Amino acid sequence: MPNESGRAYGLTALCPIKLSDAKHSYASLTRAYLQQLQESSSDDKSPMARVPNTYLCRFFVLNNVNYQGKPAVLDSLKSPYLVFIGELFGDRDTYLRGMWDHAEAFIRQAWQHCVGFDGVDSRDYFASYIERCQVETTLYFNGSTDDPLAEQLKALYMKQEFSKFAFASSGKSPHELQRDFKEFVERTRPSDLTGPTWRPGAATLANVVVDDGNEKR
Amino acid sequence: MMRPDPDVALDLHDIQGNIIKAYNREEYVTARYVLYEVKDGAAGRAFLGKLLPYVTTAAPWSRESETRDANPKPDVTLNIGFTFEGLEAMELPSASLLTFPEEFVSGMLARREILGDDGKSAPEHWDPVWRKAIHMLVFLNGPGRPHEAVLAEHYDKLAALAAEFEPSVVCLDGHRGADGTSLAYQGASALYDKNGGITSKEHFGYSDGISNPFFKGTGANPNNVVGGGKVTRESSDTVEGWEPLETGEFLLGYKDEAYEYPEAPKPPLLGRNGTYMVFRKLHENVGSFEDYLEEAGREFDGGKEALAAKFVGRWRNGAPLATFPTAEAADGVAKRWNDAYIRLEKAKAGSDEAELRAASEQYAAVRRELVAFDYDKDLAGGRCPVGAHVRRVNPRGSLEFGRTGAFATRGALTNRRRILRRGLPYGATPEPKSDGGEHGNIVMMMGASIRRQFEFVQQQWINYGNDFKLGNDKDPLLGNHSDGPDSIDGRMTIESEPGSHKAPFLCSGIPRFVETRGGGYFFIPSMTALRMISDAIVDPT
Repeated sequence: MPNESGRAYGLTALCPIKLSDAKHSYASLTRAYLQQLQESSSDDKSPMARVPNTYLCRFFVLNNVNYQGKPAVLDSLKSPYLVFIGELFGDRDTYLRGMWDHAEAFIRQAWQHCVGFDGVDSRDYFASYIERCQVETTLYFNGSTDDPLAEQLKALYMKQEFSKFAFASSGKSPHELQRDFKEFVERTRPSDLTGPTWRPGAATLANVVVDDGNEKR
Repeated sequence: MMRPDPDVALDLHDIQGNIIKAYNREEYVTARYVLYEVKDGAAGRAFLGKLLPYVTTAAPWSRESETRDANPKPDVTLNIGFTFEGLEAMELPSASLLTFPEEFVSGMLARREILGDDGKSAPEHWDPVWRKAIHMLVFLNGPGRPHEAVLAEHYDKLAALAAEFEPSVVCLDGHRGADGTSLAYQGASALYDKNGGITSKEHFGYSDGISNPFFKGTGANPNNVVGGGKVTRESSDTVEGWEPLETGEFLLGYKDEAYEYPEAPKPPLLGRNGTYMVFRKLHENVGSFEDYLEEAGREFDGGKEALAAKFVGRWRNGAPLATFPTAEAADGVAKRWNDAYIRLEKAKAGSDEAELRAASEQYAAVRRELVAFDYDKDLAGGRCPVGAHVRRVNPRGSLEFGRTGAFATRGALTNRRRILRRGLPYGATPEPKSDGGEHGNIVMMMGASIRRQFEFVQQQWINYGNDFKLGNDKDPLLGNHSDGPDSIDGRMTIESEPGSHKAPFLCSGIPRFVETRGGGYFFIPSMTALRMISDAIVDPT
């Protein structure tokens, strides 16, 4: 089944970028925007970290296809493309609508030089725009489980915290251990997906925990 | 039958302007070349960042009448190149640095033996600046008389901007100026005629820069492929006789004449739309040249001017010997060219679109006469000597030596050796003619591989003659002939027309007319790569 792996969805969209005119290379402007984003925002400040159920995503500008050398035939794209690759939980349209709700400003910036994007001004329109630009993700391999993101983040958090607990508890008496574990469960709230949990987008252990919206270091 | 390649349209906004545009053909006929040493990477990157908005791209300039979405011509162009040491100084990741080709890493000075920069061309005779730690080249091109001050003004702005980064970025001095002065820049300017008109002459008196390679994707008039592309098996005075060269011969990231991508640094974005540039400051021994012509010309049928034409393969007025073997024919086409040029200039200044079209067509037609030739009817060199300068550096189809089909294509041995040439003369032609003083040519040669293109042509075709079956003979004009009375290598055979029963004319004791006074190998990054270098986000992983 293309695009899907269980409840995980592999979205690939190639959005044509306008050809250069007298004044600008729109492909270069798009690339420059994406690259400064990478520079200016640490992982968890990525605008896509706010989008619900994003496992992983990637943006790049595709100028052309590669030439494989003789005897291959030279192919050329009719325009450069903004490529958006998203690995996400759930169905595509729910995700894209959520993306618009949580990252509209980013979307408007990143897609502003794409062909046909001028009129895109709502969550539904954005979802249908991306659908038109979608290409099938064949042989989709999902690198994690297909659980909702919140569950995965909580699991990551629990794994991290429990390993700390295990090291800290080494050599303790059963009584102490039971007391501390109770305290551990109360603090970490294993069945509460809202927090404390792993921060979406965080790729390092620094500043990673979200506790009901209050940050802990 | 293979499907033809789709048209490649280059993103000209991403390519530095000098690669695609010949600035001196766009009325930028003065220049200053400024060299910097970067002592601190962060400062160097910040300096580059400040320059970025002023870098001239290859995007077409709009005509003055167009205002909407216009890309107007700048007062002064600005372009940037880096030596390998410069890229190191800008702190490119070592995984990227390791992917640059050996000759670029070594640099011109280290490659002097290959280039024949010996004797009077040896580095100890170079301008002192070219023996310093050169990292970055910034060059400005501006208008000529009476507006030369515009270039000086912009140079002052550049100097003020660079001064903000002293001493972390140092503008290097040691360019020899007139009267033995030492300057912080190398100046250059087109030469003027008696009436103050701009010419395309260099100090030996030849019209220069007539023919340049024509390649895919530049958006240039497709008819200009004649004389600039690669030869096909059709007649060279027709459009069918030529095909555009592959883009990858001149820009990194595109298919080349070997049906592959040229060797390029990693990541691909660092190389794509960039190229390499060889900078040479070449002194011209005008006195020796005129003396030699004078003396040998007395014996030569046709005299001094005809001998000058035989040396180069073009008459000094630009007419190619292959098509215009007599002085009368050459004068005729030169006059037609001049008339067409004057008409075109007038039409450009006016507002009559029909006249402008007609004048452009006439100019293109005459220009074609100057470039649409090969040596098929002149294999023996009776018109254009086999060892003449233009026949050496661009043999067109002649390396098949008349054996049609010797190679898969007629230009098989030539198409990978083509070079984009830019540049301007420097200094004033000495009167009376002499060797001393500061005058010569600033030559910039660009291509995807310095080793395969420039170095090969310099070593094998200029300083050697075997590929032309001329043994050790060198290019009469540019060859590094050993000087002195006992010298045996300053020779040239000027073949006579087959059937004329005339003996060939043998020139000997040719002194070194051209001496290297400096130069370097530069990488000319794309606009994207310049920005990435400036932002320190080049990531080869």
